[in-house]
Amino acid sequence: MANIILKTNKLNKSFMSGTQEQQVLKNLDIEFYEGDFTVIMGSSGAGKSTLLYALSGMDRPTSGDIRFFDAEIGNLNNDKLAVFRRQNCGFVFQQMFLLDNMSILDNILASGLLVRGDKKSIVANAKELLEKVGLTEMIWRKFPSQLSGGENQRAAIVRALINKPRVVFADEPTGALNSASGTAVLDVLTDINNDGQSIIMVTHDIRSARRGNRIIYIRDGGIVGECDLGKYVSGDQIRHEKLKTFLTEMGW
Amino acid sequence: MNKLWMHAIANIRKTKSASTTLVIMFIIAALLLNAGLLVTINYGSFFNNLKDELNPSNVYFALPDKIYTNEVKSYIDKNKHVKETQTNEGLLLNANILSKGEEKSFAIMFSNMDEKRELSKWKYVGEHLPADDMSVYIPDIFKAVSGYQLNDKIELKYTEEETKEEKAITFTVKGYTEDIYFSSSDTGYISFYLPEDTYQKVRSILNRPEYLTHVVFANVDNVKNISVIESGIRDILKLNSSSLMAADPSTMMVVIDLELIKLARCMMATMVAAMMVMFSLIIVIVCLLVVRFRIVNSIEEDVMKIGSLKSIGYTSRQIILSIILQFSLIAGIGSIIGIALSYPVLPAVSAVFEQQSGLKWEQGFDGGISGAAFFILLLIVILIAFLAAHRISKLNPIHALRGQTTVRKYKRNHLQLEKAFSNLPLALALKNVLQSMKQNIMIIFILIAVTFSGVFGVVMYYNTTVDTKAFAEVPGMEICNAIAVLNPEKDQKETVKTIEGMDHVWKVQYLDEVKVKIEGTEAVTYVMDSYDKKETKLVYEGRYPKNKNEITLAGILAERLEKTVGDTVTVHVGEKEEQFKVVGLSNGSQMGGLCASILADDYVRLNPNFKHQSLYIYLDKGTDAEKFVTNLESRFDKSMLLSAINFDKGMEEGMASYQKVVALMGVAMLVITLIIVTLVLYFVISSSVIRKKRELGIQKAIGFTTYQLMCQMSISFTIPIIIGVVTGTLLGAFYTNPLMSVSMKSAGVMKAGFIVDQYWVIAFGALTIVFSYLLSMLITWRIRKISAYALVTE
Repeated sequence: MANIILKTNKLNKSFMSGTQEQQVLKNLDIEFYEGDFTVIMGSSGAGKSTLLYALSGMDRPTSGDIRFFDAEIGNLNNDKLAVFRRQNCGFVFQQMFLLDNMSILDNILASGLLVRGDKKSIVANAKELLEKVGLTEMIWRKFPSQLSGGENQRAAIVRALINKPRVVFADEPTGALNSASGTAVLDVLTDINNDGQSIIMVTHDIRSARRGNRIIYIRDGGIVGECDLGKYVSGDQIRHEKLKTFLTEMGW
Repeated sequence: MNKLWMHAIANIRKTKSASTTLVIMFIIAALLLNAGLLVTINYGSFFNNLKDELNPSNVYFALPDKIYTNEVKSYIDKNKHVKETQTNEGLLLNANILSKGEEKSFAIMFSNMDEKRELSKWKYVGEHLPADDMSVYIPDIFKAVSGYQLNDKIELKYTEEETKEEKAITFTVKGYTEDIYFSSSDTGYISFYLPEDTYQKVRSILNRPEYLTHVVFANVDNVKNISVIESGIRDILKLNSSSLMAADPSTMMVVIDLELIKLARCMMATMVAAMMVMFSLIIVIVCLLVVRFRIVNSIEEDVMKIGSLKSIGYTSRQIILSIILQFSLIAGIGSIIGIALSYPVLPAVSAVFEQQSGLKWEQGFDGGISGAAFFILLLIVILIAFLAAHRISKLNPIHALRGQTTVRKYKRNHLQLEKAFSNLPLALALKNVLQSMKQNIMIIFILIAVTFSGVFGVVMYYNTTVDTKAFAEVPGMEICNAIAVLNPEKDQKETVKTIEGMDHVWKVQYLDEVKVKIEGTEAVTYVMDSYDKKETKLVYEGRYPKNKNEITLAGILAERLEKTVGDTVTVHVGEKEEQFKVVGLSNGSQMGGLCASILADDYVRLNPNFKHQSLYIYLDKGTDAEKFVTNLESRFDKSMLLSAINFDKGMEEGMASYQKVVALMGVAMLVITLIIVTLVLYFVISSSVIRKKRELGIQKAIGFTTYQLMCQMSISFTIPIIIGVVTGTLLGAFYTNPLMSVSMKSAGVMKAGFIVDQYWVIAFGALTIVFSYLLSMLITWRIRKISAYALVTE
């Protein structure tokens, strides 16, 4: 049995819409395991992104506990959450959110140098990771506006990995990419997961979901189903059918 | 047009804090500009109007009864240059009057108010009461400065010339007066107007010939001939042989011309107005830079809105017009409030002038000047807004809808983190500095301008409050602590030796003032045995005379004679003349800057009757000059010590009003500098925080704390601030004196030498930087509200 990295207990999150309170997450209890590629699926407005950002310390729950390994993160203040994020989390967003005024390498180093360590090894690690995701030196000297979406997203993955996070959180990482770029990005995520990196990804794209080994389905702020697909193997048709069946059962 | 108004007002509402900041800046700029223009243009014309109303003569000669001989009277009346005269009798009295709890000495001239006057009339200022027993109508300055109210008793303490007895005359204040010549003690006498019966009573109290004087008001064919007439009178009275510091007050002729009065009355106003206009122009420039910055920023921020407006059919012209309208409204509202506020402020400025000039300037609303100030500001803002917003016409609606101008195209990767030093916030701050050069250049320019004004204010404050030596040197006098006027007809050696040996005296030296003609122009000339011992060095080019037939000219005189160092001038005294080599140029405002310095040996050749009589006495620091003078008077006989003058007191009283005004201006400039720095930084930094919201959100998401981002942003602003403050401070330190030289040239200060205390200036610069950094940290505190989560959910 793998280690539990994240665990929620009666997690609630609500937002105020005008004078009305809108509850997005309802008494949610869930555990995430080390080394898993967990995919959270659900229809629009189901609460999947809200769950992802609550788990990653980007947002605070309205009530309930979130334990990251053995530490409670739900009650940390903003600055402590920032430190928690830099030390434990890596993020891959749909819109990439790279800093426009910095080169690709600087974008990665701006994150890497935040965590104290040997600068030389951080730079070397950044370059190694960039090469690993297929970005050459010519590319990492460029600015985000000079690159394609796929290249930017791979750079964003490197930024997410630079501090050796315990979990990478990905929110629709292929949502803004064309098919070829999306596949390349998913290959990178699969590769790093195969190297032992825990990933929690939100998506409503079935191609992306196929990369995960554990699928969680959310509806109206609660978990309505879960499916264990096992490790991703390219061209595994049985696995694909299993996922399709699960999603059909969930009303996808 | 309605739609454009709607958009303009909606934009103002959307950017409330930025708009409010701009309105405040325009209030300050318009207030200073309108007040400065009103003083510059109207104070001079106010003086001219007063001249028209009171019909002052071109000159007056105050001749004590002893020297107002028939010969003199006839000379003046029959002089070909004199067109018309009017002679009035007056009583002269040096008296002490209580002013703000302190006794101050005044040279008072009692005039009979019932005497008919066609020339040099006087008028009431404000309310006045009918006269009764011992009534007096005093210059308005006694109300403005000393606070004497109607029906208050005013006591004049004086020393009876003959008996040396302390006496007093008490009057009841029944009204306030104003006239051109006698309203302020700055120039000659101050006049107390008495009803006929009171005048006669005072005349019987002061029943000695030395109190009686005759004031001859004269209109002349050409003001240049006044000195000719004066010379003529001096020749008749043989006054050339004695020092101008009259040994015997009953032989002291006072000649004051209208030009000198105008210079004295308006000098302060001219100087203050010049400073106000200069300062307001700096603030107007700052406002315009900020307006341009705001427009460029708002185009970037609102590019999608602009795109949608264009896509639904608004023309570029209409959108530009709505932006022009938005900023014209802001500038217009700020300017109207500023102009309106300048009117309640002006009486305070006027009161300060009044304390020095004795003239009550009441400025009503001036539509012409205020309208001009308003339209100048508005037109410049419209022009700047048009130029800044013009880029909208080049914006393609599709690109705008995609928000494409918001994505800057970065080309150079300044300060690569791989090679930069390890402090990440500092490295990122420097990166920001290098990437925002246009914004930083604007900040640098603004900080240079306001710091320059601030240093100017610091220097003015320092010189009028902390170390007043340089300020006291402005009139161009040798500064000592007391003057002993000795009888030139007696052997003074023993007396001088005794005075030199008195307690607390560290130096004595002769310095006399005489009148000579230099190249035909009459000039007050200082005569000293040696200028090496002179304490107040006023030479700004060359040196004081050292050798035979050398002369130092005051800058104004040198300019009038078109002479400079190395040239030769002819000096006349009576029938004698000699050639003198100009060896130096000096500051000096006496007699409108027509003054010079020569050696006593040279003057004796021109005037063999000359003998020293004014002994300048220098006391140890902290010595009470008043006590010393009393001691001096008690030790020497009247036949040897004709009079003893407390120079410290005279200086203090003479400079007080000037010091007060300049110190106030200095403090006002400092305060406004800090307000402008605060407003500009608030404006620029808060705009920057809004513009960089996305960038800051990303940084927060990847783990930057609010404090790190605050430091990063504050440091990036502090770098141009440091450059601006250091440059502005250096410019202020080096150019305050040249600037003051320009504004004080009319006062005879050709090269101002105000003390620029390096510690004060450095402290000001350092404090501005620290203040700016703390302010930046305070303004960037709003970064805490930017959430990483909002970034992904927006």
